Formats: sequence, C-alpha cells, structure tokens
Amino acid sequence: MADLYPGRKRRNIVWTWLAYAATAFGLSWLVLILGALFWNGFGGLSLDVFTKMTAPPGVAGGLLNSIVGSLIQTAIGLAIAAPLGILAGTYLAEYGRYARIAYVIRFINDILLSAPSIVVGLFIYQFCVVPFGHFSGYAGGIALAVIATPIIVRTTEDMLNLVPNTLREAASALGMPRSLVIRHVAYRAVRSGIMTGILLAIARMTGETAPLIFTALGNSLFVVDPRGPMSSLPLIIYEFARSPYPEQQKLAWTGALIVTLAVLTLSITARVLSASRGADK
Amino acid sequence: MKPIGLEKSNRMSDAKAQLQSPGKSAEAMKDKVVIRDLNFFYGPSIALKEVSLPLHEGKVTAFIGPSGCGKSTLLRVLNRMYDLYPNQRAEGEVLLDGENILAPDLDVNLLRARVGMVFQKPTPFPMSVYDNIAFGMRLYEKLSKSEMDERVESALRRSALWGEVKDKLSANGLSLSGGQQQRLCIARTVAISPEVILLDEPCSALDPISTAKVEELIDELSSDYTIAIVTHNMQQAARVSQFTAFMYLGEMVEFDETSKVFTSPRDKRTQDYITGRFG
Repeated sequence: MADLYPGRKRRNIVWTWLAYAATAFGLSWLVLILGALFWNGFGGLSLDVFTKMTAPPGVAGGLLNSIVGSLIQTAIGLAIAAPLGILAGTYLAEYGRYARIAYVIRFINDILLSAPSIVVGLFIYQFCVVPFGHFSGYAGGIALAVIATPIIVRTTEDMLNLVPNTLREAASALGMPRSLVIRHVAYRAVRSGIMTGILLAIARMTGETAPLIFTALGNSLFVVDPRGPMSSLPLIIYEFARSPYPEQQKLAWTGALIVTLAVLTLSITARVLSASRGADK
Repeated sequence: MKPIGLEKSNRMSDAKAQLQSPGKSAEAMKDKVVIRDLNFFYGPSIALKEVSLPLHEGKVTAFIGPSGCGKSTLLRVLNRMYDLYPNQRAEGEVLLDGENILAPDLDVNLLRARVGMVFQKPTPFPMSVYDNIAFGMRLYEKLSKSEMDERVESALRRSALWGEVKDKLSANGLSLSGGQQQRLCIARTVAISPEVILLDEPCSALDPISTAKVEELIDELSSDYTIAIVTHNMQQAARVSQFTAFMYLGEMVEFDETSKVFTSPRDKRTQDYITGRFG
C-alpha cells in the first residue's frame, strides 16, 4: 500500500494541472475575443452609431436602423416564444408529467433546441416569405421565435420540476384548482428561474444571424414597420465585415461589440437572478 | 350521488352535546367520517386492505403503526390527495356526513375545503405571512380589507402565532422558523374553516419546544374540529388523541379509545408495537 501512494499522488498532480491548463486554454480564447472586440470596436462607439442610419461607402453612417430592427424583431420573437414556451413547459411539468405524449414532445423539443439555425431560417422562408412574395421583419421575428421557444420550454419545465410536490399538495389541500396552484404557487416559487430562461432566450435571439438572412433580409433604410425587409445588428455585421471599405468594417466591429455587450448584460442579469433565487428562500 | 356542497354542520352544538354526556360510549358518538372496507392501490400493489373505522366528531383520532403500514395513505384518502397522481386508486366507501367522498363525480376542491390537511414538512407558500393565510380565504370569499385583516389575525391567534409574527406580516413565510412555519400552515388550514383537519406527522420536522406548541394547538382545536393525526411518536398519540387506530401492513389491527389501546390492547401485534418490540 505504501508503495502505491507516491504514484497515486503523482497522477493526482498531473490530472489537476491538466484540468487547470484546459480551463486556462478555454478562458484565454474568451479573453482574446473580448479583447479584440473592445480594441477594434470601442473606438467606433460614438453618438453617430446610435443616431445615424447605415450608409453607403464613403458616407458617414451609424447603426440606428440595425439596432431598432434588432429590437423590433427580438420583441416579435419574444412575444411569440415567451407565452408559447411557458405554457408548453407548464404542460410538460404540470399536466403531462406522466403522459406518454409528453416524452415525445420533450424529445422533439430537445431536437429543436439544437437544430441548425440556418435550417430554421430556410423553413420560415418557405412558410412566411415565399407565400407573401417578400422578406419581412415579421418573418425574421418568427424565425427568432422558433429559436427561442425550445429554450423557454426547457427552462420552464426544468424550473417547475424543482417545485416540490409537497408545495403543490399543500396548495391543493386548501381546495385550490390545479391552474391556480400553478399560477399562484408554482410560478411564484420559481419566478426568477423562469425569468432567467427568458433572458437567455433573448440573448440567444439577439445574436442570431442565420435565421434572419432568408427572412428579414436586411434594409439600409430606417423602418419600424415589420411588414417589410428589416435590418438587424447581426445581419449588418455579416454584411459590413465582408465589405472592402474600412469605415464599414469599423462599424461591423462596433456592432459586434454592442451585440456582445447586450448578450453579456443579459447573461449576467440572468446569473444574478438565478443566484438570488437561493437567497429569497 | 349529488356533489358535496359547502354546508357546514353545527359542530359547536354537537361538541357541547357531547360534553354534557361524558359517559357516553363510542358507539353513541356522532361519526363525522366513516371508512368502510377501504382498499387502496399504488398501481398493482395493495397498500390498504379492507380498512374500516370511524372518526368521531370533535375528537382527535391518532393513526399509529410502523413505517409503511399505510397510515399516511389512509390520511391521503380522506381528502382525495391521491387524486393528484395517476395509478393510485381507492375502493370502498368513505362517508363524510353520510356522503361517499370516493364518488367519481365529487368536486375534490370543495371536499378539500371541508377536509383540511397539514403536512410533515412545513410548506409555507412563497409569499408573505399575511398572504399565506389570506390566499386560501380569497378562494372562497370576497372580503373587504378590514374583514380580511380581522380574519387573518384571528387565524394567527388561534394558531398561537400572532404574538410572534404580528410585526412581520409582510415578511416572506419562508423566513419564519420551522416551528413557526408549521403553525402558519395550521393557521392557513384553520382559516378556511374546514370541518375535519388531517395532520400528517406534523411534528416530525420540529424541535421539542415547537412540538409542544403544536400539540397544545391540536388540543385547543379539537373542541371545534374533527382531527385525524398520523404520528410515529406513541407518546404523542397518547398525549393528543382520544382514539387510536393501530395499523400494520395495510390492515387496521385495532381501533379503540386511546387509553384502552395503550393500556390493554386486544391484539398481540398492537401490544408488541406499543411496547417497542418492533417498528
């Protein structure tokens, strides 16, 4: 036994350092990406970015139409995905917990969760662009909703599964109908967890490009009407990053920085929310 | 069978009538609940076998027996709590004031308003102390703010909790101590004025001082309510109940006045259990 010990200790040290090294390797890329974004994008942050439209090469422009387009399409996506996702998650966790169909739905939802977003874009193109004969912000929003819904379904179900059955029984024991138990007790117990899922879904929608290429297309004009083609930050990044003109490339960097900061803020808020969940218990 | 309504019997006068004739035998007492030939199944496995017993009105009945004997299962039949889960079913008859509560067309929510339940683990709702009490009442009555305030206060007073929480009614119910949480749950149950209260090992998660407070409370409540309590603690059964049912392996072995069950049990298994030979 004594002669096994030194070898075991050596292996322990090797494994520990391998784990550290892998973590450092992964983190260093994150730091490099954030560093490059700040280095290239921060200089371009100015009032113009938020007040001027995207412009043709040679004209000073901003990102206003893209930012507004992103906000509108994310809002459309959220308006569809949040109620749908919460209700479907509620079905899976509360009503369909023991039903065979729930297993099928859960499985399909998990597939949808990891579906390539370009496929989602093409699908919505077939259903929401081709029949109307033109691209639109609505189609973009719907495509984003398809991306966001499975996330919200999953987090809502997971959160509701954390609600102890004893709490459901206690509420039912007062003679409360099932829907009231869910709305007033179960939702309340995991409110911040469900909010976290929604924030993560928003973060995901904010950064998606592929579903928008075939649906919203992009637009260099300022539009708030989602019935027509619409710009958005990821699309303009995609477009300007490939542009030969340095001022457009610079705006692409700035746009990327804005998207990243938005996603980062949402993710951190989500983290803080889910951390405080433990605190108010 | 017509669905059970919310009419309440006049239990105060019944309780008084019983007080005036203390020498009455168990048979002469009014039976609030009558359980007849009850079988209960978890899927294919049987958990209760031909259980029959009454719950006398205005009395505390204790269910004792080793773990897994079916005493909690029996309690959960009395408010149809098992209905929440598929594959659980009951056969036989459970009569509440003469009406079979196992009838499939019965409105379980109205039943549960008449038969309240307090659980082993304190389960305050994730809301304020005040709302924990007011919540149940809002389901059945539309009350003005001042009426509601009064009712909340009286429910908390009944549960001997008012003095401890009157300054933190808006605090989250989860911020109270375990014993206070449990009394809050009792207050919540009492607030909607049930006729029967089911207590499922209400003290097993509590310290001795909190246990004493809850037992005192059960004693006070027993004048107005018909109470059934499941307990692992035989001293507790002896302290709080007037009637005791000993259960073993899903069967009702013995049911009698508590003093008789503990001093001169008729069945060998009851005697073995209360003398600590198993369980």
